[in-house]
Amino acid sequence: MATVLENLTLKSFHEGLVNKKFSALEITQAVFSHIKNTDKQIGAYLSLNENGAIKDAEKVDVAIARGENIGYLAGASLAVKDNILIDGLPATAASKILENYVASYDAGVIKKLKSENAVFLGKANLDEFAMGSSTENSGFKITKNPHDHERVPGGSSGGSAAAVAAHMAIAALGSDTGGSIRLPASFCGVVGLGPTYGSVSRSGLIAMTSSLDQIGPITKTVEDSAILFKAISGGDSMDSTNANRSYGDELLNPNLDSIKGLTVGLPDEYFGEGISAEVRSGVETAIEKIKSLGLKFKKISLPHTKYALSCYYIIVPAEVSSNSARYDGIRYSRNTEHAPQNTKLYDIYLKQRGVGFGPEPKRRIILGTFVLSSGYYDSYYDKAQRVRTLIKKDFDEAFKEVDVMLTPVAPTTAFKIGEKANDPISMYLADTFTIPLKLAGLPAISIPVKQYKVGSKELPVGFQLIGKHWREVDILGLGQYYEKL
Amino acid sequence: MSSPINKKTLEHLAELARIKLNTQEEEKLLQDLQKILEHFEELKTLDTAGVEPMSGGGGLKNIFRDDAAAENTNQRAGIEQFPDKQDDYLKVPPVFE
Repeated sequence: MATVLENLTLKSFHEGLVNKKFSALEITQAVFSHIKNTDKQIGAYLSLNENGAIKDAEKVDVAIARGENIGYLAGASLAVKDNILIDGLPATAASKILENYVASYDAGVIKKLKSENAVFLGKANLDEFAMGSSTENSGFKITKNPHDHERVPGGSSGGSAAAVAAHMAIAALGSDTGGSIRLPASFCGVVGLGPTYGSVSRSGLIAMTSSLDQIGPITKTVEDSAILFKAISGGDSMDSTNANRSYGDELLNPNLDSIKGLTVGLPDEYFGEGISAEVRSGVETAIEKIKSLGLKFKKISLPHTKYALSCYYIIVPAEVSSNSARYDGIRYSRNTEHAPQNTKLYDIYLKQRGVGFGPEPKRRIILGTFVLSSGYYDSYYDKAQRVRTLIKKDFDEAFKEVDVMLTPVAPTTAFKIGEKANDPISMYLADTFTIPLKLAGLPAISIPVKQYKVGSKELPVGFQLIGKHWREVDILGLGQYYEKL
Repeated sequence: MSSPINKKTLEHLAELARIKLNTQEEEKLLQDLQKILEHFEELKTLDTAGVEPMSGGGGLKNIFRDDAAAENTNQRAGIEQFPDKQDDYLKVPPVFE
């Protein structure tokens, strides 16, 4: 069964199910037994939903036995990042302050996936409240990279990416604020899509940075990415930042002639110093392969790129400090351990938040409080918002000349656990190439190229395709033809 | 150049943010924040006069749903997670002394 799992994609699972090669229950049980053997070493999951998943898989088998038509995702075993709510299951966001919180409703994306009869295996580990690039910031445990257990899986959706890479889920949901889907996808050798801002509902996604957060798929193939993205995108009246736009079937059946007609931009600023030899070679390989499809390439410039990291690390903490104010250690928790009777409410807040938040949330909340404070607002927060406009304009201008852009995902392959843990700025630099386009609200996908020997292990390298707003069809389409080469 | 954050401002910010820090945390955080703010200095070299600030992610405006009444509550699930309650109200210590 293990080899069956290794070759299983959403597409091949669906075909196998329809052709009665296996049942949904058999696969779900096989995934759980694989998780029990494997996850002790990897640590991808924070909690499992075995009983619920088995029941949901059985329902799909009953529907098939009755001769009902089933969709692509019926019975498919998915991992869900633990900052996305599933009614009745824990949702900790990997934070001690939410240690005992059980979700009281379904996120918008979960409602959509439940209507497709998908199966939820469990909740995947992340950097606390999705703040981080390595999953080392989890309040509960460190997830290991399946390719080399001494290395990080990337973050913040490290549990989701590791689960898919280690075949402990057919596909997964992550969330992407500045690279949190694409970076772990690249480090783990899987496909990750950060969608256009406003295309996927944020209802039931525990908010980190409301103006940037988007849920997206982590999958083994680009084709699966298109399948899962199509299922989770579209309107939701519970999210006032959702644009209520749906995508057509072209996502799943891209037209080769229109893909061949795309012009690919190579931004100068993304190919400078500081990129490892493996990443450089990987991205060059991807470029050569795409050239063989007949696409035109053009050099472009995004002159404000170098300001994106500072801009991002002002806007994010500002929104974090505001979004995190609700965690008083009382309302979302049964944890009374740190709130003895007869203490003042003020002291309970201080203690609960002091004990409940880990170092990175504390750093961001306090930095955010600072950049929003009287006397500093103009020189930091307001300034960053204006710089954000300049960064967006760079992309608007460049997209007049090209249809998609191709860049590295990260400057290096997966780094060692502990390597950057004590230096926040070097950790933030891992997101250099994934952040700027997010500030502009654009979609981007991370696609694996191949693996390189680093030390004694083979590590994956990915490349990133950036699309125009609402043009997931271009990057998913090009990606689908790329993976057939 | 002296950093806009020192020990005293950090203590004030931690109080505003309602986060209790121990001495060790305070020292590390002060170092980190000073380094991060130094990194932000590069933004000051950019002329942003006349540039509109960008707020929100996608330039979306006024997304409304129909103003229709609907039964849509899961209040019970929230109440059940209160650490202490009285008549379905969250019970907390006095706010004022």
